Parts: sequence; C-alpha cells; structure tokens
Amino acid sequence: MSKRDLLVEIGTEELPPLALKGLADALLAGIVQRLDDAHVKHGRAQRFASPRRLAVLVKGVLEQQPEQQINRRGPPVSAAFDANGQPTRAALAFAESCGVQVAALQRVQDAKGEFLLFSARRPGAFTGELLPGVVQGSLDALPIPKRMRWGSGEAQFVRPVHWVVLLFGKDVVPASILGVQSDRFTRGHRFHAPKPFRISTPGAYLNALRKRAYVLADFEERRERIQVASQELARALGGQPVMDEALLDEVTSLVEWPVALAGRFEERFLHLPREVLIATLQDHQRYFPLSAANDVLMPRFIAVSNIESSDPDQVRAGNERVVGPRLADAAFFYETDRKLPLAARCPALAQVTFQTRLGTLQDKVARIRTLGAHIAGHINADARLTERAAELCKCDLLTAMVGEFPELQGTMGRYYAQHDGEPGDVAAAIAEHYLPRFAGDDLPATRVGMALALADKLDTITGIFAIDQKPTGTRDPFGVRRASLGVVRIIIEKQLELDLRELIAMAAQLLAAQSAGVGSVGDGVRDQVYDYMMERLRAYYLDNASGLEISTEMFDSVLSNRPASPLDFDARLRAVERFLKLDAAASLAAANKRIANILRKSQLPQTPAVNIELLRAPAEQRLHGELERLRPQIEPLLAQRNYTEALQQLAQLREPVDAFFDSVMVMDSDAQLRNNRLTLLAQLRDLFLHTADLSRLPG
Amino acid sequence: MPSRTKTQPPRTFQELIFALQRYWSDQGCVILQPYDMEMGAGTFHTGTFLRALGPEPWSAAYVQPSRRPTDGRYGENPFRLQHYYQFQVVIKPSPLEILDLYLGSLRTLGIDPLMHDIRFVEDNWESPTLGAWGLGWEVWLNGMEITQFTYFQQAGGFDCKPVTAEITYGLERVAMNLQRVENFFDILWADGPLGRVTYRDVFHQNEAEQSAYNFEHADVAWLLQEFDAHERSCQALLGSKLPLPAYEQVLKASHTFNLLDARRAISVTERQRYILRVRKLAHGVAEAYLQSRAALGFPLLKSNTQSGVAA
Repeated sequence: MSKRDLLVEIGTEELPPLALKGLADALLAGIVQRLDDAHVKHGRAQRFASPRRLAVLVKGVLEQQPEQQINRRGPPVSAAFDANGQPTRAALAFAESCGVQVAALQRVQDAKGEFLLFSARRPGAFTGELLPGVVQGSLDALPIPKRMRWGSGEAQFVRPVHWVVLLFGKDVVPASILGVQSDRFTRGHRFHAPKPFRISTPGAYLNALRKRAYVLADFEERRERIQVASQELARALGGQPVMDEALLDEVTSLVEWPVALAGRFEERFLHLPREVLIATLQDHQRYFPLSAANDVLMPRFIAVSNIESSDPDQVRAGNERVVGPRLADAAFFYETDRKLPLAARCPALAQVTFQTRLGTLQDKVARIRTLGAHIAGHINADARLTERAAELCKCDLLTAMVGEFPELQGTMGRYYAQHDGEPGDVAAAIAEHYLPRFAGDDLPATRVGMALALADKLDTITGIFAIDQKPTGTRDPFGVRRASLGVVRIIIEKQLELDLRELIAMAAQLLAAQSAGVGSVGDGVRDQVYDYMMERLRAYYLDNASGLEISTEMFDSVLSNRPASPLDFDARLRAVERFLKLDAAASLAAANKRIANILRKSQLPQTPAVNIELLRAPAEQRLHGELERLRPQIEPLLAQRNYTEALQQLAQLREPVDAFFDSVMVMDSDAQLRNNRLTLLAQLRDLFLHTADLSRLPG
Repeated sequence: MPSRTKTQPPRTFQELIFALQRYWSDQGCVILQPYDMEMGAGTFHTGTFLRALGPEPWSAAYVQPSRRPTDGRYGENPFRLQHYYQFQVVIKPSPLEILDLYLGSLRTLGIDPLMHDIRFVEDNWESPTLGAWGLGWEVWLNGMEITQFTYFQQAGGFDCKPVTAEITYGLERVAMNLQRVENFFDILWADGPLGRVTYRDVFHQNEAEQSAYNFEHADVAWLLQEFDAHERSCQALLGSKLPLPAYEQVLKASHTFNLLDARRAISVTERQRYILRVRKLAHGVAEAYLQSRAALGFPLLKSNTQSGVAA
C-alpha cells in the first residue's frame, strides 16, 4: 500500500523555554502512540521545537488503516429476549446501533454469562481522515502545567496559536485545531522572515525553514550551533565558556536563529564570589560566563541573540548596559549583607516557618544542633564546632543575596561566616550541610559538615514522616527522597559508623519533645522512616552507584537482618557479592533455601544444643563436626564485620551439606532424631544468617 | 497595524510618553491619566484591574507612577527606584495580532527589530494581593527587560472572559536604551527652549528623601492602625455596594502594607496573612464591581457593538 510523510506543526507565540523540549517530546510520543493504536504503520518519527513552533514529522505513514475487526458486546442474552423468545427493546436498540437486525447478531460466552455480540470486519479508514483526531488527541494530552485562553475564544493551549500546518504527503489535511484552520503555510523567524510561507511536502520542511526563513527548527542542531559558536568566541578571547547543561537547553529554547556574541563587564565586579557572578550572569541574563585557563572568571560573557543584526555592536552594547547594573545590585547585596554578622540573624529565624507543624527554622536549628553534636561524637567530628555550624547554617536564608538567588543558600553562608571570622570548619559545614543536592553531587568533605548534613536531613525526613506527609511519587516538597539518599550516601561513602535506627529514634524524640504539632513519634513511624531509607539504599545499589553489581535478591538477603548500621549493611552486601562468585554459592544458596523451608514447615521445638549422642549417620556427624570446627573461626570474623571471610569459610560447608542431604533423612520417624537434626540445621542456618539470608539468593 | 505616522524617534523622556500615547491612541485606545493614588503598578489602576473583569470590551493606555518602597536605594543605585513610571496598555478581548501591535510601538520609538535583539521570555505574572494571574513574557531588548506582557487569566479570583492583554512598559528602561545612558538619573527628561532637564533634576532628591521615609521614618504604629482602618472601611463600603470607593481602600491598604514591609515591621509568617487580607478585600471588590456592571447591563457591551469598533 502506498505511504506518505506526515507533518504537523503548531505555530504559536513564544513558548516557555523550560517546557519546550518536554512538550515536543510529548507531542511526538502522542502522535506515534495514536497512529500505533489505530494500527497505521509508519516509519521513523522526529520532533522539532523552537520558540514559535512544535512540530512532528513522521516518515512513510500508510495511507489507509488495515481492515478492522469489530467486536461489540451487547446486552446479556437473558435480558435480550422475553419469555416468548422475542427480542427485547435492549436487544433491538443494540442491533440498531450496530446497523443490523437482531438475527444477524452472534452470541458470546464468558465468565459473566452469555451476551449478544456484533462481529464484523470493516475496511480501514483513510489515514487522512484519522489525522485530525490524532493531532487533537495528542495536543489535549500534552503535559501543560497551566493552559491559557486568549481573546474571546474557548481554545486553551500553552500560548496563543497562530497557525497549524497539517500535511499528509503533498496534501493539506483539513482540520480545525485549537481554533485555527490547518493549511500548508508556516512562518519563519519573527523578524527575518515574518510572512507566511508555503511548505510543499513534509520532507521539505526542515530545510525550507533553515534555508529561507532563519529558523533552525531542529533543537539538537540549534544547541550544537550555540555550543560551537560560544566555544569559538571564547577561544578567541583566551577562555572557555562555563556552560551549564540546563542553561544551554534554556538558551536553545529561547532562539530560532542563534547568533552568539561576546560582551564584557567592569573588572571591579570580579571581587564578588564566583558563584554570585555566575548566578547573576546565568539566572538573570542567560549568559555564559567565561573562565580563563586557570579557571578564574574573566570579566566577559557570551550572550546568544536571536537576530543577525544589521548593527551587532548595538546588541553587544545593549547587553553590556544591562549587566553592569545587575552586578551592581549583587555587589550592593554583598556589601549590605556583610554589615551584619550571620550570628546576629539567628533571632530572626524564629520568624521563618520551616513547616507549620514542625515549627520555625529556629526550632529546626535547635534540634539539629543537638542531633548534630551527637553524631559528631560518633564520627570523630568536633561537637562544639558542629553546634556552632548548626546555629549559623540557616542564617544566610535571611540575607538579601540568598533572597535574590535562592540557589546560593549555604554558599553565601560560607562566605559570610568566613568574613565574620568563624572557624574554617564552621564556614565549610554551613555550605556542606546541603550536600548532596542531586544525584552524583559532591558529599561534605569535613567531618563537621558530615555531622551537620546528616542531622539536618534526618530531622527533615523523620519530621515529615511524623506528621504523616511522607513523599509520594509526584509530591515531595521537602525533598525527603533526595535527603534519604543523601544520608545513606554520606554514611557509606564516607565510611561512617552510625546506628541509623538510634539516630532516627533521637530525631523523633527531639521532634516530639519540641513541637506540639508532632506529638509522640511511635515505633511505627520510626520503622517507616527506616524502611523508607532502606528503599533508597536499595535504589542506590541497584543503580550501581556503589560500583558493585547488586541484584535486588542480594539486597533482600542482607535487608532480612535489618542492620542498623548502613556501613555494616554495606560490608554484608559486599560479602554476599563476593560469595556469589564462589563455586559453592549456588549449591549453598539452594541448601539454605531448603533448610529454611524445612524449618518453616516443621515448627522446630526449642532445643538449645545438638545432642551428639543422637547423631547416627556419618554425614550428620561430619556436618556437625565441621560446624563445630568452623564456629570458633567464624564468630571473631563476624565481630570484626569481616563477612567476606566469614562466608568464604562457610563455603567449606558445601560438601558436608550436600552429603548430608544426599544420605540423611531429616524427617525421621523417631522424634528425638528428627528434632536433633532440625536443631543441627537451625544452627547451620544461623551461622549463615549472621551475615545474610542466603535463601533469598538465586540458587 | 504599525502606525504610519512619520515622526522622529523620541529624544527625551517626555517625548517617549507622547509617542506611546499617540501610537496607542491611533490603535483605538482610550488614553487615561494616572490614577491619583499610590500604587505598586499600573495593574492596580481601575483601568486595568476592574476593567479586566466581566464581558465588556475595553482598550486603554496610560502612564502610571508606581511606588515600590522596598526598591528605594536613596538615589544611589543606577537601576532601582522606589518611584518610577509605567506605561500601561490594556486591550480586551486580546486581539490575535497584539504582539505585532506591540512591536509596531517599538518601531515608532525608533527601535528596529532587525538591528536590536528583541525576545519574548516566559514570565508568568501573579499578584497575590489582587488574586490575579496571567501568562506571558518579559520582553527583552538586547538583554534588558523593557516590558511585561500578560494575558490575564484571573483577576480578583474571577476568570477573565474574554481575556485582557496587558502591556506594561518600564518607561525608564526604554528611555535608557533609546538614549543609551547607563543610569536612570542620566535620562534626559526635557530638552526645549528653556533648557535641558534630566531625570536626576526631577527626581533625585525625591528618591533620597522617600527612601529615608520608607526605610527609617515611616511611623510603623500608625501604619499598622491605618491598615486596619482601611480594611474596615473597605468592608463597610462593600456593604453599602460602593465598589469603586471600596477599591480605593484596597489601594491604600496595599500601599500601607508595602510601607510596613519596607520597614521590616511584618514578620515572614505575618506577611502571608497580610497579603491574604488584601486579597480578600480585592476579591470582594471584584465581586461587587461585577454585580454593579451587571446591574447597569454591561453598558460597554452595547455601545461597542453599536459603533462597530473592533478592539
């Protein structure tokens, strides 16, 4: 059957840059999904996105749907015919809606009974007829956070819609989409090529825009051009652009025809902290800062304009005129903020709500001061400095600079603390207590920073669970998920020996003692917090963030012991990972599984020890002997958390265990013998269980 | 459509205002004068906030002096003022070619979009005190925000149907660009037979003194009482079905709140409650205003159809 290319383009007023790519992706997915649902075969599909357009090109779309099998179920047969066997109104109405006589209907039997069935084959629709619905459905399903209306119309979209191109091969598919009649006329660049211009075929779209209309509709191509042009400009100035990936995406979403240019600002602003300069240039202006070879910022920036200006110097000069006052404002904040020491801002924390039921920031600070000092005691951090850092760590939220640039929280606290002459560890910890802020982010480098980061996060996590606001898939306003992962990462990667259950209990107790809104935090909540954090730990390992190949069965084998110390957890998991590489692993895992089953079924009576007298078979005697021989070796290894070695030693049991199961009948008719054997197996299993529940492993 | 009137681009601040008034008058807008009370933005003028409500068409343009007490810098910052000027344009229902109309106004000012980099950068506007929000952009001219553009979706908590398009030019910013100066105070205000007068000559002393008032001298105890009094008056006036005088009490309450904010007399938690109090008043006014227009039979709906004026 013949095929055609399909082009859909929605022409709008300037779209939100942060949403642009996601909208185009969703439009592509929606159109492909609907073509597939309609069984319309097609070739490769791609999407285009620029400030004034979302477009999708699908290659080789079949012109007609395949023949459709229709099966419609009607009323139950019991309700379809009356006592005389005559069709009821329900049956007649159903038949009419299918366009046939009742006699032409079939019957179908399923679990719920017997029903009338209309079954027919219908020729497939022409794809062109399906397209308006495909496009409309895809647009309706776009993930638009806020739809808007415009003029007097009822249509709702991201921004007002001006044109719709809907081409199927060379033909326009007539449709009314979002209040606009489809045609083949797109628009080029808002200023360089404002007039409507004709697209002959879908395949010609991209090139026509690129060659004749000053529009690079391909997002990735545009991004690449911005990147290359910025690097070239920077190189000519002896520097490198500082290119944040997210900013590059945003800049790409703000232009249809990127033209990069370099500008400069006054050298005197270089005394501002690097982060402040970058935030000013990036956040406010969407500029790329420039750094010299030694990574020091230069008084330069790269702006990406959307015009091939008839006088580029005007554009440059204009941009330079903006950046000066912006930096002057930042400098004003920096000067003003430093006039008041951070410590002097502490009382004002009482005016800032952390969470209605969890009190103010001052309340939170009091809690993490105590918890932080406690943690410090366990990890060889200075408790006094930790307390000081806790007192100051939220004060920068009250500064003008953080008011202007919220992402500089912590960073400004560090600068201001240094300026105030606070100890170096205190200043560092103020910045570090927010770490890690995202997956793969740095961890605190100082011990004080680690103690404070853990305290702050544990307080938030426990508090949010205590007021029953635990995060859902989509709702996590306090970043509990991220905080939990942060806690386990810090503990494991920084090799901190901490009892997580004890810390959760302490956080809970501090919350309960202080906040009337919390009340008592029971065991149930503490378990929830522990379980939640263990699930984050699972994700951590399954993502290979630890560098180990961990399966969910391996994780479960260790979790079954519910180790209180994440570091201990890690050691066990590493041991299991090594163990699984041994030849004996599969057989011992199978044996553990078998023993677990036997013990579960047999309801073992409590027997404290194996009675040697009752060991009759050579295989059970040997197994017992091996067990007794190994036990004194294993126990000190366990005490040292040398689980790897412990499991290596236990691997020696493979042969005696196999021999035992080959020749000994556990469930002997003699109750004494049976119980003695069960006790032997229970002891064997205990020895493994001290490290992990190997019965959960594949074997 | 862009005005075809051949005029010289404005050289001075006052010529900029004349040019914008002329341009939008040519497009059919009612040229209003500033509202004679303190307000934070042109949006607070009845010509925008109240006229955005209800079904009646409306098109207006006006200058509005705007006061933002916390933005005071004692006249020492080149780019921040506690008193400045907005030029406001509202058209309801928003015509599809509204962005082209706006760009036409820039051309009138001598801003050639093929020379300068003009961009519409997403900026969704929300006024918590007015219970109003809309979607739109800030307009960038060579990286400088010179205009706010908003399609009103709600005002006073009511859906805007039809939608009002609001264009707010930051006049000082536009003038800075036209005159290529780097400091608001260097803007040339007038240049005629009686000599040159700059923005500094007109406003610098005012900035310094008003900043001192906003941050240091405003009488907090009295302002707190005043806020309460305006709230009570507003409620009483709403009870008497007088939405327009009631709205002036909202304006006064809002400005009083801004002064208290500048004096840092309101804690962070209290702040939210004050905003909610103003919003509640604004909602009451919006409701009463809609009722009063309905009682009058939405007169502009009729007159506009009769004269056949298309917005």
